[in-house]
Amino acid sequence: MSNLAQAFWVELLKARRSRMPWVTALVFAILPLIGGFFMIVIRDPELARSLGMISVKAQIVAGTADWPAYLNFLAMATTMGGFILFGLICTWVFGREYADHTIKDLLALPTPRTAIVLAKFVLLMLWAATLTAITFLIGLGVGTAIALPPVPAATIWQGGLTIAVAAGMSLLLILPLALAASAWHGYLAPVGFLILALALSQIIIVTGYGEYFPWSVPALYTSMVGPELAHLEWFSFASVILTGVAGMLGTIAWWELADQVH
Amino acid sequence: MNTAIQTHNLAKRYGKVTAVHNLSLRVERGEIYAFLGLNGAGKTTTIRMLLGMVRPTAGAAEVLGRRIQPGERQPWRSVGHLVETPYAYPELTVRENLEAMRRLRPGVEQSAVSRIIERLELVDYADRRAGTLSLGNAQRLGLAKALLHAPELLILDEPAMGLDPAGIVEIRNLLLELVQEHGVTVFMSSHILGEVARLAHRIGIIHHGRLLQELDISELERDRRRRLVIQARDQQATLEVLTSAGYSAELVANESIEIKDEAAIQHPEEIVVRLVHAGQPPTMLNVEQENLERYFLRLVGMDGENPP
Repeated sequence: MSNLAQAFWVELLKARRSRMPWVTALVFAILPLIGGFFMIVIRDPELARSLGMISVKAQIVAGTADWPAYLNFLAMATTMGGFILFGLICTWVFGREYADHTIKDLLALPTPRTAIVLAKFVLLMLWAATLTAITFLIGLGVGTAIALPPVPAATIWQGGLTIAVAAGMSLLLILPLALAASAWHGYLAPVGFLILALALSQIIIVTGYGEYFPWSVPALYTSMVGPELAHLEWFSFASVILTGVAGMLGTIAWWELADQVH
Repeated sequence: MNTAIQTHNLAKRYGKVTAVHNLSLRVERGEIYAFLGLNGAGKTTTIRMLLGMVRPTAGAAEVLGRRIQPGERQPWRSVGHLVETPYAYPELTVRENLEAMRRLRPGVEQSAVSRIIERLELVDYADRRAGTLSLGNAQRLGLAKALLHAPELLILDEPAMGLDPAGIVEIRNLLLELVQEHGVTVFMSSHILGEVARLAHRIGIIHHGRLLQELDISELERDRRRRLVIQARDQQATLEVLTSAGYSAELVANESIEIKDEAAIQHPEEIVVRLVHAGQPPTMLNVEQENLERYFLRLVGMDGENPP
């Protein structure tokens, strides 16, 4: 793609100069610390009793104090946290061009609009991958520091893979927000979309049709609502991929073909 | 190819509202074409259609010999533009904003950034974040982005907006230099009609989405109304002398007498002789030419004589 590398350089510069990378990294760094705290609470009944409600919550979320439970907590946290945070990053990356009125500088250039949109998506993917890696690596450090019972390396890698897949699905599911930010010129519509998708995903899981609703799939995948509800077929995963592809293609089509009046 | 911009029956409708109606204009290379119109007349919509940001409902636009349509990028290598109020990435410095723009214009050498910073007198602000710039300096940054790649054609929407009088003169001189020494073509919209009169070779006047008139600056000179303005000690008596002599004189705002007769404008000395003989010598007599502002308002029917 013509000039994609330079377009990516520009996107990276804009991201580096903002506070967003630090804020998002901080949030994702906190997730494994919370998980580690839950592990300590579960393992130490005396401490659990003194903390009251927190111990109950920790047991509901994490169950037992071992590596599989801890990594599963991280996968669940990445699913929910990733969906919200990746969604906000996507909203910022695309919506800022409209909020800052800089979109009009990007439309009549030798660099194709498609290259600029793809550069934004590449940035988003690398950003999400970095945040997920931060969570996983800090998680390994926290798990080691609180001395969770040793497990084979394969268990750790399996946990890491589950976190990566959960993060990947969350990322795919927020890509339509790029279209919402572009079509409705800013932040409000994609944030509304994010909240709606989050609410619907929980409601539809409760009704038992979660495997048919793409935004419910990651939660089912990480058994967030109980293993008995995790009935995922190939079409559930396909719907997640299709949602992401539709979001990307829709955004490119919007930038290339729609009237840009802002 | 001597034509920089050409439109053929260009039209844009938003639902029932027609923003631009069958607009056909032509801008020759090397000229400054001023596009005049009131707010909402269709200037910015036209500029957005020329830049491929808005798709015409009907008609077509050609820029530097290429028809503007989705995916067409060839002209943008040689076109610099400024659409409405210029904005920049607020957290990036002036230099970083220009560097970002340079990266998106392949082939523009790195030194172009420093060169344009000096040219637009932004040296003192080069490392300042764009979000902290004054309106005038933000306008300079917008112009710097438009000029960074030494374009053949500049499409500028209100290029002098936000600038102080010194800045306006500076931009005027810059545009004149670009046109005279580098053969750049300028298509600009402006509200500052005095500036337009000093700069433009040709003028297009748009009103309610329609091109009312397209004229050379020499034609404007010819079409602008002239009037003879007279003041005397006794305005009423002087008026009676003139009307009884057959002139269509009238008292304007109780301050001066105005005569629009071509004969009087061509030979004001005859008026003087007549008034002196009648014992009403004038204290002031002046042939005034309608300025572009009055000409424009008269054309769009907002001069008070022909309500819109």
